[in-house]
Amino acid sequence: MNVIIVGAGNLGSSLARKLSDLGHKITVIEKNSKAVSLLPRGRVDSGAITVIHRDGSTGAAMLEAGVTSADVFIAATGKDSLNGLAAQRAKTIFRVEKVMTIVRDEGARILYDSLGISTINKATLASDRLVSVLTEEA
Amino acid sequence: MYLVIVGGGKVGAPLASSLINEGHEVFVLDNDPDVVASLQRELGMIATIGEATSVRALQDAGASRAGAIIATTGSDADNLAACQLARTNFDVARTIAIAHSPENAELFDRSGVDLVVSATDLVLANLATALPAHPLIRLMPVADRSQELVAIKLPSAGTAVGRTLSELRLPYGTKIVLMITAAGQSKPPDSDALIEAEDEIIALSPANSTAELWELLTELR
Repeated sequence: MNVIIVGAGNLGSSLARKLSDLGHKITVIEKNSKAVSLLPRGRVDSGAITVIHRDGSTGAAMLEAGVTSADVFIAATGKDSLNGLAAQRAKTIFRVEKVMTIVRDEGARILYDSLGISTINKATLASDRLVSVLTEEA
Repeated sequence: MYLVIVGGGKVGAPLASSLINEGHEVFVLDNDPDVVASLQRELGMIATIGEATSVRALQDAGASRAGAIIATTGSDADNLAACQLARTNFDVARTIAIAHSPENAELFDRSGVDLVVSATDLVLANLATALPAHPLIRLMPVADRSQELVAIKLPSAGTAVGRTLSELRLPYGTKIVLMITAAGQSKPPDSDALIEAEDEIIALSPANSTAELWELLTELR
């Protein structure tokens, strides 16, 4: 699959690595040139992961990343509203089939879910996991 | 009407002040304590500190009884999120937002914001009227911005001058609505209407053909 990830922070980078391990073609859009150091160097050098240094919420950056032939678009910056804007552009303007976004705020999760964008709440995910580990141990 | 303004900066602060003068009840939300303090000094207790995109902060600002929300922060992403959160969580009847980039103006329109103020369009429209050398004026977007109403002033040495409307090869879908002479007389846009120097032509143009129309009408001999 062609996957576009906006944001190469901890989450975006680890996501890019894992999806690349599974053989998917990954394009990461990250405006901050320092942040991309978290991406697996070898994959970037071999071209398995393409990096685009631009503001990932703009249409121009999305087009450069090949959004018109993308199967999945994931907004994974650290800011809910920026993720929401990018995800809505991918869905409404570029009609990407599967659009997902990371959210921190519960209000944002409800909003983007209602717009047909799959949301992942980092904090809820982590606490659910902790609870399930503790429950198994008990 | 009770109005919530999100962002009390260069646009939000004067807007709050003028809406209060018009008799509205206004409350401003801004994440900068200095901005909020200055609003409270000048306009009274009508501002609170909070994030534009926090449901709790919108609630504290009284979004549940607001007739409209106006998002004026410097961030397009925050403006869109504030309007959408106000609509989904508090059923605010009217959402209004500034879009700083033109492509976001289109996205806001399609994402359910009721009134989108495009900062770029405003500046361009003002510049265009101020600069006679810039004869294309975008008057109004029509039908989800797929078309627009434009005014084009013809140069006196243009190739179109001296022809009739039917002799022009207008871009597909373009409709001439009205012609206005340099003296301010209007002419109906009949097919045999003669185009004269310095005429202003008002046209309904498919947005992606406006550049072509402008070139056709302003091409010099």
